[in-house]
Amino acid sequence: MHTPFVASRLSALAMAAALTVPAAAQQDYRPPTGPAPRTASGKVDFSGVWQKPYVPDLTRESQEFKGVADLPFTPWGAAEWKKYDAAEGDYTGACLPFGMTRSINTPEPMQIMQSDGYLAFLFEQNSWFTVVPIDGRPHRSGIPTWFGDSVGRWEGDTLVIDTVNFNGRTRLDTVGHPHSDQLHLVQRFSRPDRGHIAHEMIIEDPKTFTKPWKTTRTLTLRTDWEMMEYSCEENNKSLWEGRIKVPKYKDH
Amino acid sequence: MRTPHLAIAAALVVAATLSGRSLSAHHSFAAEFDSNKPVTLSGSVTKVEWGNPHIWVYLDVKDDQGSLQHWQCEGGAPNTLTRNGWSKESLKVDGQITIDGFLAKDGSKTCNMRTVKLPDGRNVFAGTSGDGAPPLKK
Repeated sequence: MHTPFVASRLSALAMAAALTVPAAAQQDYRPPTGPAPRTASGKVDFSGVWQKPYVPDLTRESQEFKGVADLPFTPWGAAEWKKYDAAEGDYTGACLPFGMTRSINTPEPMQIMQSDGYLAFLFEQNSWFTVVPIDGRPHRSGIPTWFGDSVGRWEGDTLVIDTVNFNGRTRLDTVGHPHSDQLHLVQRFSRPDRGHIAHEMIIEDPKTFTKPWKTTRTLTLRTDWEMMEYSCEENNKSLWEGRIKVPKYKDH
Repeated sequence: MRTPHLAIAAALVVAATLSGRSLSAHHSFAAEFDSNKPVTLSGSVTKVEWGNPHIWVYLDVKDDQGSLQHWQCEGGAPNTLTRNGWSKESLKVDGQITIDGFLAKDGSKTCNMRTVKLPDGRNVFAGTSGDGAPPLKK
């Protein structure tokens, strides 16, 4: 069987390949050490550009992530999970908002900007953001949203972000574990040292799960990274060419 | 019958170990690609699109009759590739490459790239140095 290439052309191309082999800078990175920094008012300061472990499946562990292997589904939740087929509709593939848990799960970095009154989560994934008041105020009422309504409060040096009022159109992770509009998400942020955030996430959703369950992960400070723009929409060939479909949501 | 140049055996090993999961969090691999349909494509790069949510490499592949087939293969997210030192210039247009990947479910000449190899064996757009396969986390 003939090969598609002429041998001499092959070797010339190999020499002219001009491949810039990237420096191994990413593997050499070490986060800074020392105690967690504090704001002028004495609070732990979570500001920075943070690397997150990629968590496509909340039931599968990795070096930096610990999940729950067997999710305590209600019958409704189990049925939702069983019938999920991304080929029938993939909301993130269609560039719809990721929602809170999936934004935390992506491999793209997030920047946290903190003041006394607010914590802003700037997700590089799709350039989404969510701003959380952290002065201890109660939840606001309003229409349900993709990222939910978040408020924060301090418990010592731990910042607790409490989120409710999700629109139910998102999924917990890439593989599609479901949740309902009754999801009550609690995230606990602490900073054991300068280079790391210890993140705990508690998922409580009585329609989908029989009891709350918890995941933990470590975030790493990247002093060598800056946030980059990420336009999901700019070249979404998969959507334009019909390989990804927009999900059909029931009216709420 | 026009068929592309396929090498199934090696790709099957790749398929078994990677379990069809894309490193991209942007969307579910299963929405678009078939982890039971690995493919190996060898051909000439005609275009590289460097944009979000995925890079795309366009490839002309000669089939068994010597006719050109036009393939498009989806790669990783450009921001992550950029942080790992890659760029749009990392692959030369008109360069010969071999892609191992998985076919799209819709039957089109579309694949999801797992490895992109130059004729001298070096891997392009690799998540880890020298390995070629993206660093999938379990």
